[in-house]
Amino acid sequence: MSTPTITLTSADASMARFEKQTTRYGSLTMTAGLIFSLFGPIYLVFFSDLQIAPSMIWVAFLAVAATFGVLWIVEPVTYFPILGSAAMYQAFMIGNISNKLLPAAIVAQSSIGAKPGSKRGDLAAVMAICGAATVHLTSLLLFVGVLGTWLVSQVPAEVIDVARLYILPSLMGAVLVQSIVAMKSLRPTIIAIVLALLMNFVVLPAMPAVAMFATALVVIASILVSWVLRDRKALVTNTED
Amino acid sequence: MQPQLILAAGDPSSTDIWAIANTPFLWFCALGVFAVIFIQTILYARAAKVAAPHVNMPARELKESFRAGAVASIGPSLAVVFVAIALLALFGTPAVLVRIGLIGSVSAETGSANIAAVSMGATLGGADYTQQVFAVALVAMSLSGAMWMLSTLILTPIMKKGGKSLAKRNPAVMALIPTAALLGAFSALTIAELPKSSIHMILVAVSAAAMGLCLLLAKVLHAKWLKEWALGISIAIAITAGYFLHTAA
Repeated sequence: MSTPTITLTSADASMARFEKQTTRYGSLTMTAGLIFSLFGPIYLVFFSDLQIAPSMIWVAFLAVAATFGVLWIVEPVTYFPILGSAAMYQAFMIGNISNKLLPAAIVAQSSIGAKPGSKRGDLAAVMAICGAATVHLTSLLLFVGVLGTWLVSQVPAEVIDVARLYILPSLMGAVLVQSIVAMKSLRPTIIAIVLALLMNFVVLPAMPAVAMFATALVVIASILVSWVLRDRKALVTNTED
Repeated sequence: MQPQLILAAGDPSSTDIWAIANTPFLWFCALGVFAVIFIQTILYARAAKVAAPHVNMPARELKESFRAGAVASIGPSLAVVFVAIALLALFGTPAVLVRIGLIGSVSAETGSANIAAVSMGATLGGADYTQQVFAVALVAMSLSGAMWMLSTLILTPIMKKGGKSLAKRNPAVMALIPTAALLGAFSALTIAELPKSSIHMILVAVSAAAMGLCLLLAKVLHAKWLKEWALGISIAIAITAGYFLHTAA
């Protein structure tokens, strides 16, 4: 049908077209998703008579930014080499990247015997994320949207009150252990926990006004102290690799 | 009188969160995000179908990849569903669907909401968790999520152009900063629960122990599913313990 050289160039050209198409579709749909996700809160702030002052939003946003701002930039940078540009627009809208989307992509690539990073591997990864998205959207709509809402309406009010009151400690203990195990870095773990204990049991009792930015301060201090007290030997060998 | 358009009758000091959290417009926005992702999925699958024959990839392999991805994500999806249901009482269905089910992760979104509540001098889920606090918490979660998407939109084309990423230039900083930031955030948020009451303190310990046990068992038994379900299981155990401690007290 065609000589190898022609097959090669046509393969490259069609992959280039695929990249271009998915970049356009991806950025357009992500922008649409971003707008939809902001409509709800905008509606509550401006049209629901909840008397929300602009200062409340600024303070809350600053406190959140100081805590998670680093991750806004670091996460996309970290996942780009693994996901590739097409899947980036899928992953950061669907969420649950490391525990669901990446495993799905790897399973799909190995089931058709395609290498990650190859053309077939890239297409397999995108299709796998499409499959994962379909399952995820359907199960969320069905089990949370319909069943969950019904379930919560059936549960007695006092049980809901207890759940609401204690959901945070019940969630955070597990989340902390999960992130400690996932990060596998002893020094920053000890530093973060010591700083958090100092903040909550020494600083806050003395200066309650700090509460607003307590988490942010612990985050910033953890970064600085972990950097100052870093394991220089291990890091030097790493950079020299 | 200042004329103001009021579409939903909110009451800033009411603690009936569900009354405001489940308003039709929030449902409409949540379903909008779902629709956008469905459309994206269809467009992507179509683009892959067009490109596949040119890289010697039969349609059968595309279908197989789709099916493999779908099957592989059943377990993790149901695990997310389980955690999401536990948070319905706190945020209402539309916010949970968008923030926890889709765009964000449970830990980052609940963290943002918690930080926002504290910045108003309130406690998430506490007696002073009013409709107004809920709204500000939702704004904070949504803006934080928007920043994640915005930086994806801005950085992806830049990285694609082959600009040497920071990760390549300085691996030490790139590994250390996010690790320290995450550990700092979750340590602070977890330890802030301890002084609230003795029940809070016990529940943090129960939840942490349950997670530790699940992860240990998952490792010993090579049970990947247990790792996925660990968060849901830990929450269920801790909440149940909380119910008994609360009713006994």
